Amino acid sequence: MGTLIKNIIRFCVILLIQVLILNKVTLQWWAQPTGFPVFIPFLYPLFLLLLPFETPVAIVLLAGFLCGVTVDSFMNTAGMHAFAMVLIAYFRINVLNALMPKNLSEYTGQTPSVKNMGWLPFVIYVSFLIVMHHAAFFIIELWSMQNIGYLMLKIFASAITSILLILAYVLLFTRQAGSGKSQRII
Amino acid sequence: MRNFILFIRRFFNLILFLLLEVVCIVLIARTNTLQGNNIMSSANLLLGTMYQQRNDVAYYFALKRMNDSLVSENEKLRFELSKHDGVEVLQDSSATYAIPNPDSTAKVKYADYHYRYAKVINNTVGSVNNFITLNRGEDDGIKKDMAVISANGVVGRVINTSAHFATAISVLSKKQQVSARLKDGTVSYVSWDGQSPDKLLMKDVPNQIKVHKGDTVFTTEYSFFPGGVSIGIVYKTALIKSKNLQILYLKPTTNFRRLQYVYVVENKLSAERLKLEQAATGN
Repeated sequence: MGTLIKNIIRFCVILLIQVLILNKVTLQWWAQPTGFPVFIPFLYPLFLLLLPFETPVAIVLLAGFLCGVTVDSFMNTAGMHAFAMVLIAYFRINVLNALMPKNLSEYTGQTPSVKNMGWLPFVIYVSFLIVMHHAAFFIIELWSMQNIGYLMLKIFASAITSILLILAYVLLFTRQAGSGKSQRII
Repeated sequence: MRNFILFIRRFFNLILFLLLEVVCIVLIARTNTLQGNNIMSSANLLLGTMYQQRNDVAYYFALKRMNDSLVSENEKLRFELSKHDGVEVLQDSSATYAIPNPDSTAKVKYADYHYRYAKVINNTVGSVNNFITLNRGEDDGIKKDMAVISANGVVGRVINTSAHFATAISVLSKKQQVSARLKDGTVSYVSWDGQSPDKLLMKDVPNQIKVHKGDTVFTTEYSFFPGGVSIGIVYKTALIKSKNLQILYLKPTTNFRRLQYVYVVENKLSAERLKLEQAATGN
């Protein structure tokens, strides 16, 4: 499968999971009148995180914008998701450069994964960008600093759920072929 | 010129990044006026159709719950009907009101409500401004600014329509306030603080008004909603000593997480009333 087609399919799959399932998850038992803030876990930034290493930054930016605008039109939040996505698309390359031992141009045809990054760097990579995305999104959505504790709680609760979901996705769609050689399906 | 091109090439990524962020900010700014969100809305034909497909599947699993809500609504309607027994003025879907002390005319017609049911095909409760997509649109006579209510209470206001779909902004939105009335006639407004879908706030109620837990809050005829639709039930009151006001915490009577069927209410006299009111304020 070509890298382009693979990424397009992944885009559709992740978007369908996000829009048709996760947007409906509004964790009822926490949302008592005085209880925990309601939130929706966001899986779709994963599409951006799994783009190949050598993708030019301009393409990553445009892909992030496109993905964000699509999610926006489903959730009636014009521009908010796109803003957060473009933000992490720009900083993705810096985070990768900081985490990878070799120059990024040496990883031809590979995508970020647990296998070629190792567990810890991969989790750091995902968490850093997800927290950045959620912080940007919720600050824009709430648009006030009056209730900063509530904002923080919402950002971190959503980020932790999203990171767990992303790790679950990565484990789920990675084929373990024979002697420890793993390959991602989508 | 050569330097300029070199500059662009050197900072191309940064320029593209800033450009896209500006586009996003423009989109956000435009939509937050609530006027121009035709493009970015699930009233859009493509997105609406997709939500419809998904809802057809989910619909099957909700049949039992829906049946219960229909039965309870029937019960409520029968009760309402029994109150009007022997009064001749009741007609189909129009509200007429008999005045206790008759003057020259025996009854007053201040509103002509027409109810259309619609199915909710998309709904959020987790955002700061929540929207609901309905499966009926302009072809069925649904227009902007009509009120949306459910069997149990208020839901929101239609803000955007296409031929077959409509989007409504729900009461669970920072932008949407509702004029409200207590049992004794005190009028104030109900707003949402953006936190939990189980909490609405009724602010600026004078302190001397006695409010008890369990009191119901209704809509008024001042707004686009029909009067007397329940908004919520008081579960807590808080005092603001400095202003001599109190805040009432309401639990909404509508369960926003489980919206299935709603009624879109058209007031056929609203255009006439609006025109008159605008003439009075000199606009």
